[in-house]
Amino acid sequence: MDRLLLLVDEISTWVGKTAGWCILILTLTTSYEVFMRYIFLAPTAWAFDASYMLYGTLFMLAGAYTLSRNGHVRGDFIYRSWAPAKQAKWDLVLYILFFFPGMIAFVYAGYGYAKLSWLTNEHSSASPFGPPVYHYKTLIPITGVLMVMQGAVEVIRCIKCIQTGEWPKRLHDVEELEKVVLEKAEHGEIQVVKELEELGVRKGNI
Amino acid sequence: MFGWGNPELGVLMLALFVVCIMFGFPIAFTLMALGVFFGYFAMGDLIFNLLVQRTYSVMTNDVLISIPLFVFMGYIIERANILDRLFRSLQLAAGPMPASLAIATLATCAIFATATGIVGAVVTLMGLLAYPAMLRAGYDPKLSAGVICAGGCLGILIPPSVMLILYGATAGVSVVKLYAGAFFPGIMLAGLYMLYTSVMALLNPKLAPQLPPEDRNVPLTTVLMALLTSFAPLAGLIAAALGSIIFGLATPSEAAAMGSLGAILLTIGYAADYSKPRNLWIVRTYGVLAGAFVVYLIVAAITHVEVDRYGVGAALFVTLIVGLALLPGTKFSFVQLKESVFLTARTTAMVCWLFIGSFTFSAVFAYLGGHEPIERFVTALNLSTTGFMILSQVIIFILGWPLEWTEIIVIFMPIFLPLLKTFNVDPLFFGLLVALNIQTSFLSPPVAMAPFYLKGVAPSWVNINDIFRGVLPFMLIVVICMIMLYTFPQIGLWLPNQLYR
Repeated sequence: MDRLLLLVDEISTWVGKTAGWCILILTLTTSYEVFMRYIFLAPTAWAFDASYMLYGTLFMLAGAYTLSRNGHVRGDFIYRSWAPAKQAKWDLVLYILFFFPGMIAFVYAGYGYAKLSWLTNEHSSASPFGPPVYHYKTLIPITGVLMVMQGAVEVIRCIKCIQTGEWPKRLHDVEELEKVVLEKAEHGEIQVVKELEELGVRKGNI
Repeated sequence: MFGWGNPELGVLMLALFVVCIMFGFPIAFTLMALGVFFGYFAMGDLIFNLLVQRTYSVMTNDVLISIPLFVFMGYIIERANILDRLFRSLQLAAGPMPASLAIATLATCAIFATATGIVGAVVTLMGLLAYPAMLRAGYDPKLSAGVICAGGCLGILIPPSVMLILYGATAGVSVVKLYAGAFFPGIMLAGLYMLYTSVMALLNPKLAPQLPPEDRNVPLTTVLMALLTSFAPLAGLIAAALGSIIFGLATPSEAAAMGSLGAILLTIGYAADYSKPRNLWIVRTYGVLAGAFVVYLIVAAITHVEVDRYGVGAALFVTLIVGLALLPGTKFSFVQLKESVFLTARTTAMVCWLFIGSFTFSAVFAYLGGHEPIERFVTALNLSTTGFMILSQVIIFILGWPLEWTEIIVIFMPIFLPLLKTFNVDPLFFGLLVALNIQTSFLSPPVAMAPFYLKGVAPSWVNINDIFRGVLPFMLIVVICMIMLYTFPQIGLWLPNQLYR
């Protein structure tokens, strides 16, 4: 069971991280377009379509990865103060009540949307270049399926948490700088903070 | 249902959403689910169409494209280890001023927060760098804490900020105009922070004792060299990105892409190994050439001389070569790049999924006509324009206590926006006030991100209440700044009006 959990995590993470490299490509293609247009007066035809497709691919496919890192923003001013088991109970209820109906509607609607686009051989009307967009639209149902899979894993995490009273561990991954620093400070691993503690003691003595 | 009309359903949907936020479930999915439920009830199968179309409109949104690019630039700079050098150079420059360390802290915060846009990172890093420096110099812990927390939040106001992009996408206001508009209010707020700090230091020198003379009387050449090598490149990068947007040379996404590329080159250059004489030689030569080229460009701009395109191309090419030449000796590693890429993916996904939820939710809300009862209610209050402005800003201020700015902008702005027309308020002007107001959402308890982050890296003898007490005057300055902007709208509107008539 654990292995299945982590396997789904790994799939989401791999897809998300791979899609993440779109940002580097987006940086380079957009810079290239700027060079060509302003300096050589020869704008590329494909840059506009490429830019939104890269951006869309990036955030759609990274959605499940973000979910696997618990990275979707919560209004957690009350949630934060709850015990893990209580957090898990409410999460469980709301995953079933909100997440799955919404995401299943997303997959269902996205499937029809993409299918129609394939059938009509749809091309972009946003630029004269007009590349096909059916691949791009197919991302919607694919993302939906990834999200449903990751959501199922999160539900299992909630159940485990309710049983054990502790959130199960997640895969190790890069974290926001402030999180890393705060954790280090909490474990007393930062030299500067220690020195300051001594400064306070000295002041107290004087 | 229960003999209710659609508009009442809309209000019910909104009320349910506000209740559901409390349970701490990811907001994007809550919005999407409520949109789908109420939409299905009101329009049947059409909701599925609406859902994908709204999603696709986020996927092809040409305003939101700049978000991942600016976020990427921010993460690259955040991980570039340039903060301590930046702080030290500004500290040297501020040497003779009253409360010089605090002034240097504010300036460092302002520029670093503007470049990265990540409040948490700025506050924790400065909490480890500037806070100990100020405490050791005998500064008041409260004042020092206030300076770091307030300074760390400047990044969401001073353009190029991601917050203004989000507001632009939500309100349909041009991001370019917002950037031009937020420029002077941002400078004004940072200036008022500095003014307050120095006045306090002059009134009560115990709050911020002067530094020892050897730190105060640094030779001018040393200061200039430090500024030139540590402050100028980063400031130049931001100025170039912002300038090209404001003067209409590039779209925000183009400027952001060039900014990211510039940030990568800058990071490579900063992290290069200068013990090798070859690297030092390359950079010195490049510095002289680049300086001469910038002078040439400025002269050309003033005298309206046609700039040689191939000259510009060659300059950019040389920049790239210098960056690559330093690559082998640089400490900037593939790991840093990878981390920035992955964090960018997560942050972008978080923001854009919030938009998918919010676009769906607000489309259903508009279909149900949920605005009508709210508008009727507000009209019945018989407010003047000033009354409405005060009321709305107070509401946003209070929303800032429990919520973060992303949620306020993406979810609650769509409710205020239709009312702006009723009261004849320019959405651009409203956005500037909101951008100022949201500074306080990081500072006010119970979800005061900045003070809590600082507390996390502060020694145990600094109390969280001390930090809050230190932050309070700076919150008052934000309010004063808002009043000034409201009384003299030209502070914000002059530049956009001047540039885009």
